[in-house]
Amino acid sequence: MTTATTPHRHVRGGYSLGRYIAMDFRRNLRNVGNSFFVIVLPTALFLFFGASMDWSGEPVGVGNVSAWTMIAIASYGAAMATTSMAGSAALEIQQGWGRQLALTAMPHGAFIVAKAVVAVAMAALPVLVLNLAGVFTVADMPPGVWLATVALTIGGSLPFAFYGLAIGLSFRSDAAVGAATGLLVILSFLGNAFMPLDGVLLDIGRFTPMYGIVALARYPLTGGDLVAMGGAAGSDPLWMVLANVAAWTVVFAVACLLLQRSRTTRR
Amino acid sequence: MVSESVISARDVRMSFPDGAGGHVHAVAGVDLEVARGEVLALLGPNGAGKTTLLDILLGLTTPRSGDVSVGGLSPRAAVQSGMLSALLQTGGLLPDLTAAETVRMIATLHADPAGVDEVIDTAGVRPFASRPVGKCSGGQQQRLRFALALLPRPEIVVLDEPTAGMDVAARHEFWGRMRAQADEGVTVVFATHYLEEAEQFARRTVLMDRGRVLADGPTDEVRARAGAAYVTVSWTPTAAELAQVPHVLRADREGARTTFRTEDSDGLARYLLTATGARGLTVRPASLEEAFRLLTEDSPTPGDTEHPVTADSEEVTA
Repeated sequence: MTTATTPHRHVRGGYSLGRYIAMDFRRNLRNVGNSFFVIVLPTALFLFFGASMDWSGEPVGVGNVSAWTMIAIASYGAAMATTSMAGSAALEIQQGWGRQLALTAMPHGAFIVAKAVVAVAMAALPVLVLNLAGVFTVADMPPGVWLATVALTIGGSLPFAFYGLAIGLSFRSDAAVGAATGLLVILSFLGNAFMPLDGVLLDIGRFTPMYGIVALARYPLTGGDLVAMGGAAGSDPLWMVLANVAAWTVVFAVACLLLQRSRTTRR
Repeated sequence: MVSESVISARDVRMSFPDGAGGHVHAVAGVDLEVARGEVLALLGPNGAGKTTLLDILLGLTTPRSGDVSVGGLSPRAAVQSGMLSALLQTGGLLPDLTAAETVRMIATLHADPAGVDEVIDTAGVRPFASRPVGKCSGGQQQRLRFALALLPRPEIVVLDEPTAGMDVAARHEFWGRMRAQADEGVTVVFATHYLEEAEQFARRTVLMDRGRVLADGPTDEVRARAGAAYVTVSWTPTAAELAQVPHVLRADREGARTTFRTEDSDGLARYLLTATGARGLTVRPASLEEAFRLLTEDSPTPGDTEHPVTADSEEVTA
């Protein structure tokens, strides 16, 4: 028997989610490989191909080519961030960190909130850095349009959280999540993000997952009009852009749901 | 001494799909009462259901049926209040955080945590506090998990094979630290498959196999039952001589050698060497697996040969 010690002040639910999020954000930022690919690489891409080409100042929609390129590369950086964050979150849970967290006062739902906040913060970083780079170079858009594209770029990266999650759930390895992130280069190319596509590539590209979110983020700038090297450009109606985003969001989300359901093992 | 029960489990059952359309009964009707301040060993071979039972006590797994309460609360509520904490068997750590960062990060998620520096010292994490977890040895990671378990200043600590992967010195040191906690009145429930650990540290042992409790009592008593041994001698006794040998559970003859299974190897050896013509005596302690088999078998008949028990053919009788 213990002597009459003072009972612990046991309070339910008293945890500091904000501090946990801040520490998790710093941890992910410190991951040099991640930060390089998510922030430094897209910014360098933009400075080479978006800010210093002869045609960078040519007009597109209500802005210029540099802005048109900046938005797409920011979408690429943001999608990489959410993919790798969601993928690594799935791995963390499977590697037992979820069990460790289940031994704290934090409910499981709060872990998802925390990860979502960190993922959006990580996605916002390349978008902010790229847009600042755009501001200080030649990118040009009306301020209202500029803000709208920033919001759409960050929001558009969310379907890729499901994509990363699905990869993390199915392959359970860091390498697979890395490969999924790497694959975004190709998807971005097909998504009309790096250079204006035309012909067959554009027809194929319209059905790939990056196409919708890039086109959506550019919509305030272009109103759906396409940019083409040769001149003859078409236009994407808004419904088509939204249909692409919605379809791929559903595909990735359903994949996550099915994978989650098929997991019956303890760990 | 009548003490208050802090863990109470009644007829807890849990099964998992076995992948072939059936179910594996990981926990098949367990009753368990643990008193405040008690140190209890949950002893059993791999696959006995220890981890599943501990997961249920911690609220990490919801049992198929049965009632569990910890300190009068549901397991999850007990964990959230900080009353109940645990050291988990594997995983559970992020390799890119340092040990100290891990403690700080988990501390943010407890309502009323102990000081980070305090648990780092108590658990012996200080020497490698600034090392990334991925570069820590298995024993160091266990110490870190121990520090995390101390964070909520728990009244009840559950340990799932806490010394797995530790060398002898680390194991000794770990139990020293754990004993200090128990001396302060912390209730400790730990799973192990080492009989020695149960003997050295727990006053009470619960023996588990295939989801059931086979024995529950003071460790000495359980040890006597589980600590069966085999005594082999060169001797060809007559049936009458054989019948006089004390402390024998079973005898098997193989050529000129006779093997006795016994719960008192000293007494049997003393008799064989002094009262009979037996020579060349060897004693082999039964492994834990064998001990479990003895406890699960029906009353043995002399002259039987050993049959390995297959998982699905034998009805378990506790």
